[in-house]
Amino acid sequence: MEGSSDGVIVARVLRGDVDAFRVLVNRYRDKYARYAFHMLGNREDAEEALQDAFTRAYRSLARCEDPERFGAWLFRILVNRCRTLGARRGRRARTFVVDEGAILEAAEDHPAERNAWREEIDRGLQQLRADQREAFLLKYVEDMGYDEMSQLTGVGVSALKMRVMRACDRLRELLSEVHSA
Amino acid sequence: MHDNDGIMKEIARALRAHRPPVSASFDERVMSAVRRLPPHSRFRLWSRLTTPRTVTVIPLSWGLLAASVALFAVIGVARAFDDVQIATKPMITALFPNARAPQPPQRVQFVLVAPDAKKVAVVGDFNGWDADHASYQAQHRGGGVWSVTAPVPVGHHRYSFVVDDSLWVADPTAPRVVDNDFGVANSAMVVQEQK
Repeated sequence: MEGSSDGVIVARVLRGDVDAFRVLVNRYRDKYARYAFHMLGNREDAEEALQDAFTRAYRSLARCEDPERFGAWLFRILVNRCRTLGARRGRRARTFVVDEGAILEAAEDHPAERNAWREEIDRGLQQLRADQREAFLLKYVEDMGYDEMSQLTGVGVSALKMRVMRACDRLRELLSEVHSA
Repeated sequence: MHDNDGIMKEIARALRAHRPPVSASFDERVMSAVRRLPPHSRFRLWSRLTTPRTVTVIPLSWGLLAASVALFAVIGVARAFDDVQIATKPMITALFPNARAPQPPQRVQFVLVAPDAKKVAVVGDFNGWDADHASYQAQHRGGGVWSVTAPVPVGHHRYSFVVDDSLWVADPTAPRVVDNDFGVANSAMVVQEQK
């Protein structure tokens, strides 16, 4: 079943095979954890958003229009969960916490300078407005086109371009000095 | 000093390469949460009917006996059902004078103006949100107007248009209800029985 397409697995889950859903969790967990982590800034919130997205996807699975594109549908749910969780987190004025596990893991593969650079990027990202951070991540990290982003977020293309531009300007401002050092 | 595009490329590269570790218990947490939800049963009856199973052939005498028992049971149940209906009809009428037979679905016309569309379908809780449901495929009536008249059960419903199999569009003429799972607005309607 591991090699089956998303559509085949979704059909099995809809027939009552709950355990088949684990294959989808395994398939998309790591890929989408990256977006949630960068969007929310810490592992705890990222995992909460991701778990919530998987649970909601399961509950609404019969409404998945194109089961072969389950991943894209799940990502849409995740983007919405990150918005909701981010707004809630904003209300309780949580400060940015660097994820220690991620740093330890990254430190095994990269020299200290590279790790410090990534920390600065994480800090810079968290200083962006949430809508600008979302647009920036979808464009530059998830490599989406503006039309695709517009469909996903429900925001117009020109507004998204503006958000990306402002995010880039702000990141340049925040990171130029560190980068050139 | 590095150029600006160089910085953006560096940032994007660093973020793409970053794979934050997910807790070892994550899969199990998700599966536990999922198991607490009602299982899907969309095809459960079909699955039961189509799942292969071992059948033991009983000798002829047992077969005849079973057939006889089944025949008498069917006749008995049919007669008993008739008797119960005859006996309870006056009682139901007395207890529920306004009781009526189930209301039949009503014909509802859905209209959307979508000049650039190649395909328009109606999805809703009345057709399992199935954009391929044959009865709910809108036809192009000219001038970008798409419409379909289809049966919808009496009651409250949520629905939406699906344009070109990908874009969900709420009915501009109907009230909207935000779906919290997806952050998109569906349309709401109430279908009443025609008198």
